[in-house]
Amino acid sequence: MEMKPFLVAGVALALLIGVAAVFLASGDPDGLESTALFVQNEKSITGPSPEDGDAEAIGEGTFEYEAPMPDYGLGEVFGKPGEVVAVLVGTLVALLLVFGVGKAITTTKH
Amino acid sequence: MHIPDAFVPLGQSIVYWIIALVFVALALKWARSELDDEKVPLVAVLAAGIFAIQAFNLPVGMGTSGHLVGGALAAIVLGSPFAAVFILTLVLLIQGIIFGDGGLTTMGVNIINMGVIGGFVGYYTYGALKGISGNTYAAAAFAAWLACFVPALAAAIEMAIAGTFPLVPGLMAMGLYHAAIGIIEGVITAGAIYLIANARPDIMEKRAEVAA
Repeated sequence: MEMKPFLVAGVALALLIGVAAVFLASGDPDGLESTALFVQNEKSITGPSPEDGDAEAIGEGTFEYEAPMPDYGLGEVFGKPGEVVAVLVGTLVALLLVFGVGKAITTTKH
Repeated sequence: MHIPDAFVPLGQSIVYWIIALVFVALALKWARSELDDEKVPLVAVLAAGIFAIQAFNLPVGMGTSGHLVGGALAAIVLGSPFAAVFILTLVLLIQGIIFGDGGLTTMGVNIINMGVIGGFVGYYTYGALKGISGNTYAAAAFAAWLACFVPALAAAIEMAIAGTFPLVPGLMAMGLYHAAIGIIEGVITAGAIYLIANARPDIMEKRAEVAA
């Protein structure tokens, strides 16, 4: 396969995976959050996770930051369409940021 | 495995940031030496793919889910553990700043776990197993599994130092959950390498030449 269609197919696949994730991804906590719930005695090590468990309650860090698209969404008002927009934005920002940084590096070395 | 701000005291986060920045500087040196106009789009597409698939949490049982991290994948495809540091640093930057996934003060420790440890464990395990077995996909799958499992244990130790998780229960749970999540890492990494090797065999052949 030529490089250009290969790269276009790669971007299309990434966007497809991102959109699929919005509808198909598991809502269970990840490994770190599950561990936090386990050590807080909110779940057994192999049992289900509580739906209202707060994994970060165990943390004592004081720094707080409000991201513009928290939890890969635009807020409850926008629901799933907002999540689709968020993941598409994130995927394209990743593509463009890495491309831009890479181009800046290759340009400055000439 | 994205550690939030709340889990690590600020003083420790600064230490992790300093260590991470050393590896980020080395990754930029790698990029300056290895990247050219042909490779930059490939690295960018790989980063986009890793970002998207990190959003796709799959159930692993035990009330837990997990996703590909991608350190081993980046290191194997691009032929250097510093490729993983380069890509994961930029992906973690986006996730932390725009989506609040992983903290800002803890971005350093996340770069160390997923980029540095994941990239180095994945790359060198792949090289060793490929040399022994000669099977690219089996070597990549196991290397990726280990590149998920070892950073999880490192995170458990970091959480114990931070006073967030007790050491032994933290190691047990992180180890158990990421042993399961690592299967996802292994399968997707081997599958992605299969797709790349079939569509563009030259990319993987170049990697084999570098490894030899």
